Amino acid sequence: MDLVFIFEWLDTSLLAEIAKSSSGVFALVQTVHIASMVMLGGMIMLGDLRMMNVLLTNVPSGIIIKNTKKWIYLALVFIILSGIYEASAIAMKLAHNSFFFAKMAGLAMGIAFILSIRSAVYARAPSATQQETGGGTQQQPETVSPMVVKLVAITSLLIWFSVASAGRWIGFS
Amino acid sequence: MLNELLFKFASWLDTFQSSTDLHESLYMYAWVEGTHVLTLMLFLGMLLAIDLRLLGVAFKEVPASTIVERLDKPMMLGFIVMVISGLLLYYAIPVRSTQSIWFRIKVVLLISAGINALLIRNMTRSSDMSWDNDPVPPKRIRVGAALSLSLWLCVIGVGRSMAYDWWDCKKELPYFMYWAAGCVEEMAAFE
Repeated sequence: MDLVFIFEWLDTSLLAEIAKSSSGVFALVQTVHIASMVMLGGMIMLGDLRMMNVLLTNVPSGIIIKNTKKWIYLALVFIILSGIYEASAIAMKLAHNSFFFAKMAGLAMGIAFILSIRSAVYARAPSATQQETGGGTQQQPETVSPMVVKLVAITSLLIWFSVASAGRWIGFS
Repeated sequence: MLNELLFKFASWLDTFQSSTDLHESLYMYAWVEGTHVLTLMLFLGMLLAIDLRLLGVAFKEVPASTIVERLDKPMMLGFIVMVISGLLLYYAIPVRSTQSIWFRIKVVLLISAGINALLIRNMTRSSDMSWDNDPVPPKRIRVGAALSLSLWLCVIGVGRSMAYDWWDCKKELPYFMYWAAGCVEEMAAFE
């Protein structure tokens, strides 16, 4: 499906006009984009590395996942808003950029993964359910195997690393 | 005087073939820059978690010392990679970087953030950690954490601005800007 018409529309929009008119504001929005990427990447890493038993192993995983969740959502909102602003300034360049499409596909996959598999599996991780039942003496029946939890954590890290790498490579292509 | 010294040092680095090779390489420069940006997520991501706990807005159920101590190693790992990749980026474009007002501001901000980090580290490792389990730490700790986040946000912004040529030496600028950016030759032409 040819998506060029979306980029053509974006290129002639008021947003594009504003974005092209001031490089200072554009740099500021880029800063917001990178800072949000740091927030998203940091919180994802914290959750995934905890689930892989690499970081904060003495803290129940449920606490880490609960605390990182709202920052992940906040970061995603800022990333998408600042990303649309940035894309509007170079819409026609992006229309033919493979790395941009790779990034968008990765971003969509990452969001879907967070909302479905990642949250479902982490909620049923052995350490998370132990914490919910208070102290680990009694496990809920619906736990998933630690191997599956680790597999999900690795997949999550790989997806987001690919998104960030593809994003960085847009600038070089 | 300092401007001349820095310019001489940068010009000396610029004479190395490896500096030119790195700058002009098809992929290597992009890999180094990509690593520099992506490691931000590890270094600043861990720092963000620490600062949010010290601000009392996240991980309130976890003792502050646990977050600070356990995230220190991955954060420092990210920092080391960032420093190495940052030095390589400077080595690839020494003269323009030395004569960039943004680079100079970034160095000042990095030093300020480093001093602030040392102060916070001392405060969180002192014997008086009676607030360790408190959801909201004392005001002095929260001020330090807020300052840390603000300084690093500015470092990102200034680092990003280095890519723009708004105040490059080749542009027509007031004398003060030439001085602040270290545009030695332009300053000489002014006199």
